[in-house]
Amino acid sequence: MANGIQPDITDLPIKEIDISTILYIGYILIIAYIAVRVLSWVLMRLSERAGIYRISVTMAIPLLKIAIYSTALYLFITAIIEPSLSQLVAFAGLFGAALGFGLKDVFADIIGGIVITFERPYQIGDKIAIKEHYGEVIDIGLRSTRIRTPDDSVVTIPNFLVFNQSVESANAGKTEMMVVIDLFIDPESDAGLAMNILKDALVTSKYAYITANRPYTVLLDDFPFYKRVRAKAYVNDLRYEFEFKSEVTRRAWMAYSREGIRPPQVQRILPETADQNERTSERST
Amino acid sequence: MFKDELETITAAIESYGEKPPDNIAMISDPFAGQNFIIEELRHRYPDTISYLPFFSVVTSKDFIPNLYTAKDVVIMERCHFLALRKVGGFAMLDEFLDFISSSEKLFITTWNSYSWSYLNAVRQIEGFFPEIIHLPKMDSKTLKELILSKYEGARIEFIDDRVIEKKQGFEVLERKITLPFTNTALTIPWISYSPGESKKEEIEIEDAVFNRINIIADGNYGVAQRVWERSLEYPEMKTSNIPEVPCAVDLTINEAFLLTIILSMESIQLVDLAEIAGPEINIDQNLYRLIQHGLVEEEKGYFHIKPEALKCVCNYLTRIRMVW
Repeated sequence: MANGIQPDITDLPIKEIDISTILYIGYILIIAYIAVRVLSWVLMRLSERAGIYRISVTMAIPLLKIAIYSTALYLFITAIIEPSLSQLVAFAGLFGAALGFGLKDVFADIIGGIVITFERPYQIGDKIAIKEHYGEVIDIGLRSTRIRTPDDSVVTIPNFLVFNQSVESANAGKTEMMVVIDLFIDPESDAGLAMNILKDALVTSKYAYITANRPYTVLLDDFPFYKRVRAKAYVNDLRYEFEFKSEVTRRAWMAYSREGIRPPQVQRILPETADQNERTSERST
Repeated sequence: MFKDELETITAAIESYGEKPPDNIAMISDPFAGQNFIIEELRHRYPDTISYLPFFSVVTSKDFIPNLYTAKDVVIMERCHFLALRKVGGFAMLDEFLDFISSSEKLFITTWNSYSWSYLNAVRQIEGFFPEIIHLPKMDSKTLKELILSKYEGARIEFIDDRVIEKKQGFEVLERKITLPFTNTALTIPWISYSPGESKKEEIEIEDAVFNRINIIADGNYGVAQRVWERSLEYPEMKTSNIPEVPCAVDLTINEAFLLTIILSMESIQLVDLAEIAGPEINIDQNLYRLIQHGLVEEEKGYFHIKPEALKCVCNYLTRIRMVW
């Protein structure tokens, strides 16, 4: 069998490579690159107009990239050689093996990109946490995924990490996302009132999204020196995650201060530190 | 108009006393015409019904004593004014729900559909109203009958001065290109614009007028009436007078929130808007922009959605999930 294939491979009908072939290959690569950029841009623009379907539209971007680059690769190969089917299969095998040995990391990234595209552990527009990074996915390329962190840094993450790292997607392809807001109050404050106020601040927020499938809840937990009032609700667009937290916190604390609900007292939490501070201030005066 | 809905409510009133009352919530979009049903009920049962409408945001419990002294059937119009979207803004609604939970009376209430959806999501008010009636959208034929019924005896001349409509469209063609410096010919898809053949709709002019009005009104009687009145040059009604209502809205989150409040409350005063908005939102600037966009208008100190823009506003706010 091996004897049957070997001469076939070594006799690859390589075409004559002249200037026009090189230009043709150049055109293919340029056109593929431009097509990817233009289509990505168009789809991103369309997704902004799609409202709740924003992330569904952006899902198509990595698929398109793979389709375009695969086509470009095929045209590239057929511009140089004119293989039969068995030659193409054998060539692909050898090419893959070469990639596997020489460029295994790049190859792993590309396979990771394909897996991400089809298995969709996350999509463009999702908020994900991978390793120590958290942010919104802004691009899924063949080699890497780029995310924008809350402080506007762009982090490039190799795609192969999807094989050996757990990925946490906060919204799993949806536009809305659950947000958890914690407020800490003094244990002597009225916890029931604090819960009601936080509930009101939550449901009246301009960022809140509440339906039968997207409910909200407010929970109370008791700790030795403070009580924690925790609210869980969905933000209507995950891009407003931090604005939602900030707005609810601000409005809840405004109402808390009106109603005499206090934050935990430092003396209660750190009695020794508070005593030391008192003694220091007494000495200085 | 709204015969089925009227029958349902009439049956509930007629059977009052035979079984525990099923409170009724009548839910409708702004301008949809629920007042026709209320007026008809008040006309039919003047001795049985107490009528307690709200005209602005309810800020005190003064309405509660009126409920004690009211007749057995109580119509409460615009109940969405019982809740204000702010911390502590549900107190009046809770008072009202507490009252009807322990009352023997039959409450017929009307609500703005967007307020209802919101309050149902956050307060589950559906559970207090076993009978829920959603006012349906009207078709062009019904709108035509209703609007023209006001002009009985008068002759309105419908003039079709539409620009001839052409069937337009895009088609994908194939085009061969040759790249410079190469002999390779490529076939690429090419999008071409086709003006097509001239075509005029073969329908009655009256129907064409009301079809166009209904594209703007989306089955809403109040909106259709407004468009009709603004387009009519009595006794002539020209198709070209019906305005195009473009809908390309792009608002900031604060503008969208104020628009949501105005849509949900139907008509609201500046002071109430300011209370909901809080210090974070500059009311004057945002309202100015909403008015400039042609989405909101002011009338005697109250802000409401411009009827012609209602469909556009609802679609936009639903799309960005400010209403649900």
